[in-house]
Amino acid sequence: MTKFKPLVEYQANKGLYELLPFKFEPLSEDDVVITNFVGEFAFISRDELRATVNKNLDPSSKTYSLMRSRHFIRELGDEASVELLGLKTRTKYSKLRNFTNLHIFVVTLRCDHSCQYCQVSRQSENRAAFDMTIDMAEKALAIVFRSPNPAIKIEFQGGEPLLNFDLVKHIVLRAKEINETQQRDLQFVITTTLSLVTDDILAFCKSHKIYLSSSLDGPEDLHNHNRPRPGRDSHARFVEGLERARSALGYDAISALMTTSPASLTRVRDIVDEYLKLGFDGIFLRHLSPYGFAIKTKSYGAYNVERWLKFYEEGLDYIIEINKQGVRFTEHFAALMLTKMLTSNDPGFVDLMNPSGAGIGAVVFNYDGDIYASDESRMLREMGDTTFKIGNLNTSSYEDVFTNEALLGPLEDSFTLSAPMCSDCAFEPWCGADPVFHYAMHGDVLGRKPESEFCKRIMGVVKLLLERMRSDPQVKTIFMGWANRC
Amino acid sequence: MKLNLNKEIYSIEATQKAAYRFIDRLTILIEPVGDELVCTIDPVEGHEERLDDHVANFKRELLDQQLRKQIKEETEAVRNLILAYTFSRTGLQG
Repeated sequence: MTKFKPLVEYQANKGLYELLPFKFEPLSEDDVVITNFVGEFAFISRDELRATVNKNLDPSSKTYSLMRSRHFIRELGDEASVELLGLKTRTKYSKLRNFTNLHIFVVTLRCDHSCQYCQVSRQSENRAAFDMTIDMAEKALAIVFRSPNPAIKIEFQGGEPLLNFDLVKHIVLRAKEINETQQRDLQFVITTTLSLVTDDILAFCKSHKIYLSSSLDGPEDLHNHNRPRPGRDSHARFVEGLERARSALGYDAISALMTTSPASLTRVRDIVDEYLKLGFDGIFLRHLSPYGFAIKTKSYGAYNVERWLKFYEEGLDYIIEINKQGVRFTEHFAALMLTKMLTSNDPGFVDLMNPSGAGIGAVVFNYDGDIYASDESRMLREMGDTTFKIGNLNTSSYEDVFTNEALLGPLEDSFTLSAPMCSDCAFEPWCGADPVFHYAMHGDVLGRKPESEFCKRIMGVVKLLLERMRSDPQVKTIFMGWANRC
Repeated sequence: MKLNLNKEIYSIEATQKAAYRFIDRLTILIEPVGDELVCTIDPVEGHEERLDDHVANFKRELLDQQLRKQIKEETEAVRNLILAYTFSRTGLQG
């Protein structure tokens, strides 16, 4: 008795098939990329596309097998393909059931830096009026632990959170106390420039397993140009703080983010080299966002999405070369996209979620007690726009906050599967809604996608990733590693 | 410039969707006239010199949109079936 049915059982059934839902996008005059219901993809020619739709695809061809195995077509009796697509869709959206994971506490707006692209208005160091109070923090914690999510991440942001470290300590201790009965998977992160880090702060972070998320814009001259502070020593303080933090907390407990300023555009190799020199195993080549001082100082308008894509392409190609030489180094934005493109998992990155991650993926407790649907929402508030304010800690219950029309309306109105252009786009399964960005740029949460810099940026990055994967199998292997990090 | 499309070949929905994709480069007014859809095409400011390129691409996009419509209509039932599997036993189905 054999374990498997004979080969003939698996062979194509005379080419009689029906289409499963799929979308396509041209890559060139002759080629398209097609994506199925969950974003699994294949490259085929236009002739093959037409043959597929017209039911003329040769059942003995490789393309036929590819289309059948990746759920673009099914033969009579192929029941598994529909069930598998349902299962994968369910997996993809499974994070939604857990609801909010990331809870951001803006413990102060004060900061010792005065970065020209800063997305939140900063105040001078001695303005205690811009600090969150203990009373506000307690009320915020009450909302945090109403989240049904078994994993809770509390992230401290500013300004510079270390300028109100007493409150950070209070929140950590109280959260852990509450969690003795709640038993959540509780994680803490402080977003800090590291310029004010002390041994006492690091000792506290060590005893409570607090991660540090910092900022590094590149080599010393570029970093200090982008991130001015008294003494013009931001980079030196970062390096010194990084060394101390690594020896106190462990090498991997500190991550860094970069922001692409106009001065960065010709320096991507220098920036990547600086990350390598300081021992990081990856970089997030991050574009500027259209909020706060980035708008006021005109930094945001200083380069367009096409220029940023050139910067990104040069950086990505350089990073690929580094990987080919045997050094594992990840570009994190690509890794987020590739996780969506090459696996059934959704990384839960707020900007790339549909429905939008606002409120669902993250919620922000501002220093003054107001509650916002995302970090970008509170950045808008610092520009005087409270459109995405979804409550206040003094007056709103958990139910008030998460059923607020200021949250539910934008989530529904920006849903990409019913948005013009998005609903037909082959890249939609890998994309996100980002209502706050579109509201900031276009005045409505949907925006007009052909004019949207968000759309152009995602389209540009996706096409770049597809092209590199397609033309070089070694790159595909590298990308698979990025998408399946442990 | 004007572009006359045969209604038997190009649906109004596909034409509208194609026009939408060019909203940053072309302003396209669509008017049904008899058996035809008449597209009145003007370049958006700054795109005057590339008008011919954009119109050529718009014509390709019309065909793509027609194909997308065909796939979408043909797969509507199975799409609903997949969604039914996805959300079964979640309490969300009516």
